[in-house]
Amino acid sequence: MSLINLELILFKIAFALCAISTAGFLLSLLVKKIKLAKFSTWILAGAFGFLTVNLLFVVINSTGLINLGSRDFFSFCAWSVSGAYLALQFKTKTRSLGAFISPFILLFMIAAAGEASGKSLLPQNLQSWLITVHLFLTIVGEALFVLASCAGAMFIIQNRLLKHKKLSRMSRLLPSLNDLDRINHICLLWGFPVLSAGVIAGTIFAEFSWKAGWLADPKIIWTFTGWIIYGFLLHQRLAIGWKGYRIAVFSCAAFILLLLSYGSVRFCFSTLHNFI
Amino acid sequence: MIVLIGLNHKTAPIAVREKIFAGCQEEKDLLFHLRSLKGVGEVLYLSTCNRIEIIAGIEETEEAEAVHSLRDFLALSGSLTPEEAAKCFYEYYDEEAVRHIFRVASSLDSLVMGETQILGQVKDAYRQALAQNATGVVLNRLMHCSFRAAKRVRSETAIAINPVSVSFAAVELAKKIFGTLTGKKILLIGAGEMAELTGMHLITNGAEEITVANRSLSQASLLAEKFHGEAASLDALEAKLIEADIVISSTGAPAYIVTANLIRKIHHQRKNSLLFLIDIAVPRDIDPAASSLENVYLYNIDNLQDIVDENMNVRKKEAIKAEMIVEEEITRYVSWQKEQESVPTIVSLRNKAEEIVRAEMDKAAGWMNKLDKEEQEKVDSLVNSIVNKLLHTPVAALKEESSEFSSKDIVATVRRLFRLDE
Repeated sequence: MSLINLELILFKIAFALCAISTAGFLLSLLVKKIKLAKFSTWILAGAFGFLTVNLLFVVINSTGLINLGSRDFFSFCAWSVSGAYLALQFKTKTRSLGAFISPFILLFMIAAAGEASGKSLLPQNLQSWLITVHLFLTIVGEALFVLASCAGAMFIIQNRLLKHKKLSRMSRLLPSLNDLDRINHICLLWGFPVLSAGVIAGTIFAEFSWKAGWLADPKIIWTFTGWIIYGFLLHQRLAIGWKGYRIAVFSCAAFILLLLSYGSVRFCFSTLHNFI
Repeated sequence: MIVLIGLNHKTAPIAVREKIFAGCQEEKDLLFHLRSLKGVGEVLYLSTCNRIEIIAGIEETEEAEAVHSLRDFLALSGSLTPEEAAKCFYEYYDEEAVRHIFRVASSLDSLVMGETQILGQVKDAYRQALAQNATGVVLNRLMHCSFRAAKRVRSETAIAINPVSVSFAAVELAKKIFGTLTGKKILLIGAGEMAELTGMHLITNGAEEITVANRSLSQASLLAEKFHGEAASLDALEAKLIEADIVISSTGAPAYIVTANLIRKIHHQRKNSLLFLIDIAVPRDIDPAASSLENVYLYNIDNLQDIVDENMNVRKKEAIKAEMIVEEEITRYVSWQKEQESVPTIVSLRNKAEEIVRAEMDKAAGWMNKLDKEEQEKVDSLVNSIVNKLLHTPVAALKEESSEFSSKDIVATVRRLFRLDE
């Protein structure tokens, strides 16, 4: 069996496991059974394992990680989000967070499956190790931001249930407010420097390759906006002492804002980042 | 047969239960004594704060005498007259006794349905009986089946999941806010009994530091000592509120002691951290407006009681499922028990067959001895195989019939057919 075939099999298994775990997580919310969420976490861990091996094969096969494939890019997005979620499970027992995270992971996997194998993500002029570093760090940073926002959304729901003096099955299923706030804190704390490093790598590449005019690119403006919002949230948390409900609301609002603006930038403007 | 005699919180007042408990405690070798009563073959003694029960395996032929002795023993232990005993005691036989012990172990007969302690208490009682060789095949099987029923009830229903006391509801809420209570600081305002109990539960669940603030510092010190905590006067309330994670208030003050403005004022000094306020006082100690503040979760006694009531309803619904599980397990046990009734007959049947084989082999010893060892073994094996095959069908039918219906008729028929009683 050739390495390419093996890569494809690994990807398909990871995809199937992702779909099963997403269904499991969503069902756990529906039937309000935490055991189902725990089981789905294990399935997701399996998917993560297969995806890791798949990406290792990609690294072995690729030419110095310069010419990234489109499928591998989206697979890497799914890998980053699931990796961040699974890493958090060591710190906090927040299995039901998976119900909020797994749809994003599945979406990335669907996007990856939609891309033809071997198709390059980057145009010839952007194929550089610095761009790979830029993409890697930016994706991991954004993945952590997604997690922070999901934890924020769950905080808002749990907060609402507890404020209404209800200790319902949903409330019992969701993690504690403190755990959710902690996830938000950890993700912002780690995500911001990683994203900053990614932005710096991209800036260096742009400065040397494009010289001028790149700052006005809509997607770069979007990235800087995201970075500033991210920084603002972290500042408010660390310096001003925002905690709990307020930071949860702002994280969610920022995430929705960034998602909407990404959509409009992606589909309404011509940008230097047309590859994503 | 199985008989269960006892009394519980529904049939006897605590004074009677206390007297009987003390009387039974006085008996040094209680289980040995009970087992020495005529007709009692196996025995188990269960005593909890809500019930005293004797479960015995007795000879059917001496049923009346054995039951009478057990009943008398309990009555005498509590110095009860026969009339008093008749009022307080319940007696269950066979399937009813099985149902009762299964329901007890599954916490369906408890004062607080779904409480988890009872199973441990039943297991302890069984362990003691086992250590003193007071149980046999029937009670051993009965108790193991009761543990299985209880385990199924616990794992297949939500009967024991949600708390049904105000203080436990407060602990569960605290866990939903803080996750773990380890290292959390508690402030008790006032020295009420309920606040003390809630504080105790929070500490049992990991909360570490406790401060008691009271109008009277001496009273605060008394309670603080119990918790190895710190005492403070109400003048220091603001400072203590800044440090606290969980506040339990139960003073008799006519007006709010903790106002929304006070919480708002200290919120920044608290670094906006989560604050759980439990107001058990009537009239209320904590301004309800505090509930609308960010990261503040205020529950008064009615809110907690509502949660408890809702949980109680859930338990009642789950109890229906639990009763079904108990019935399934009873059917399983009763089927086994009926099967056991045919065991002596099966043993007799096999013995008779062996006797015939032995007699016929002795008769054939003359020509058998001429065979070599290997051939002799082959003949032995052939004879045993024929006997086993011949017996297999009647034995299987006997077991099957016995497990489904009363075994008396079929057992009598088999005994007559094979002349087992001659």
